[in-house]
Amino acid sequence: MIRVQGPKSSSLWSRIQDSPLFWLLPALVFLLLFYTWPLLDVIRLSFTNASLISPDYTYSLDSYRRVFRDPATWRTLKVTLIFAAGSVVLKLVLGMLLALAIDAGVKRGLHGIVIVRTSILAAWVIPGVFVGILWKILLSTSSHGLLNYWIESLSGTSVGFLTDTRLALGTTILANVWRGVAFTMILLYAGLQRIPPELYEAAKVDGAGAFARFRFVTLPMLAPIIFIALVLITIGGINTFDLIMAMTQGGPAQATEVVGMRVYQQVFKFMNLGRGAAIAVVLLAVNLLMTLIYLRLLRLNRKID
Amino acid sequence: MTRDDSEIGSATIRRLGNAGLYAAYAVAVVFALFPIAAVLMLSMKQASEVFNWPPSFFPETLSLQTYIYVLTETTIGRMLWNSIFLTLASTAGCILISAPAAYAFSRMRFRAQKPLLLTLLVYQMISSMVIALPLYRYYEALGLLDSHMGVILIYITVEIPFTVWLLKGFFDAIPPSLDEAARIDGASRIQSFRIIILPLAKPGLAAALIFNVIAGWSQFIIPFILLQRAELLPISIGVLNFAPGQTEGEITIPYLAAASIIAMLPALVMFVILQRFIVQALTGGAVKG
Repeated sequence: MIRVQGPKSSSLWSRIQDSPLFWLLPALVFLLLFYTWPLLDVIRLSFTNASLISPDYTYSLDSYRRVFRDPATWRTLKVTLIFAAGSVVLKLVLGMLLALAIDAGVKRGLHGIVIVRTSILAAWVIPGVFVGILWKILLSTSSHGLLNYWIESLSGTSVGFLTDTRLALGTTILANVWRGVAFTMILLYAGLQRIPPELYEAAKVDGAGAFARFRFVTLPMLAPIIFIALVLITIGGINTFDLIMAMTQGGPAQATEVVGMRVYQQVFKFMNLGRGAAIAVVLLAVNLLMTLIYLRLLRLNRKID
Repeated sequence: MTRDDSEIGSATIRRLGNAGLYAAYAVAVVFALFPIAAVLMLSMKQASEVFNWPPSFFPETLSLQTYIYVLTETTIGRMLWNSIFLTLASTAGCILISAPAAYAFSRMRFRAQKPLLLTLLVYQMISSMVIALPLYRYYEALGLLDSHMGVILIYITVEIPFTVWLLKGFFDAIPPSLDEAARIDGASRIQSFRIIILPLAKPGLAAALIFNVIAGWSQFIIPFILLQRAELLPISIGVLNFAPGQTEGEITIPYLAAASIIAMLPALVMFVILQRFIVQALTGGAVKG
């Protein structure tokens, strides 16, 4: 970087401007006050028996002991894992199919691609709460539940998408996939554009069929992006709250109670700040672990590039 | 297959492939739009139609009755205004704070640079629920619970990481020789930032604006925990307890549908107008990292 040696640059004001801190200060103040400090404080609180109603607390490992002994914690973690994993698999498979279909359509010069892309992406800008409300209305077993009426006319019985404990989690996954598949599709589509066409030509010359080309050219070339999408979808899935709050509020019988929901219930319903904080720290640990994996993947990608 | 066969065959196969693709598009569009369309149709039914059996996709008559009722007789106007205010104030604040920080990361070299950028990336991945718990306690102690100001400060904070990364990417794409030339001519760093970098990074600022507006409109956990008084709630929270008038239960469904459509509309309209732009900014950032 060139240092300016003019008469102006020696003034105090311009020396202040040369300091990175001058430019970073507002952002650092916000992040330290409203992010770093709460982050450290939630860890501290997790080692207390604090409650939301009484100001006094003592330090103990009791919160963690109770949280890990509570079968509800393990059920919550399992529900979160299934929610995240289900979202990952469906979003990747559907996102891949959509990306391939759009890519093929563009290459063949088909019409209406923009309409298809816009329709799929539209769901992605809808706030999670409204996605939850849309699907809740759609799948209702009440008289306005259109989908259930059609199912009932075909099969004779209505389906308790949101009231059956065996189905509710799958239903929330479906709504989450509906909203999020667009993001996966865009990522994979962008990845497809970066595969050199010569690779496909070479594979064709070697006699590879469409499936073989997908298996031995597309998939390996897309692998870095697939893994990045996988981690990002997993983090998004683990952190989901608004969609589930609007659809099921964690029910029926806690069948859809993901970690965020459990934290909220512990703290604001049962006033157990210490225990809620301990679960929040578990959530934080999972977030950090996933981020570490994400960073490793980014570094690998850069090496490949 | 011999050469001649494949000439004839490939045209047929091609047409079959096209038909298959169009079929796939149709399925995708129906899957994507059906929930929105169904709720839109429901919102245009008259309240009494909700109890009709069998239910129908289309209303008997397209009626705006529920919309008129929702807009004039409920507090939705207040909720929309709260959402607009929170979104715009935090977007402006976030960009004002993030742009200088992005300048430092793009144009200066300092020891904490890499660790700080990494920290931003990590913060972007953490659920707001984690920080919301202690924030609730601070705000309670400071008397900031139930204040828009308090919520805006957090909206700004949680969007700083992404906005800094986004803007840094756009600043990096501007050749450093441009602002260095300005500084050799005697411009201060602030001047070169204002005169050279900001105007050239307009697409970046626009992208930051769009993403912040979408994020602000969707904010949920923070207002859900830090706001309680009904007259302060943004629409994303207010809609959860949406009850027009004194009525409850089934009868409220068309009103809820209308309220949801009204709340989704600004995001959808903005998206359809700016989608090419959004897609570009999104893929650039996510794939490059």
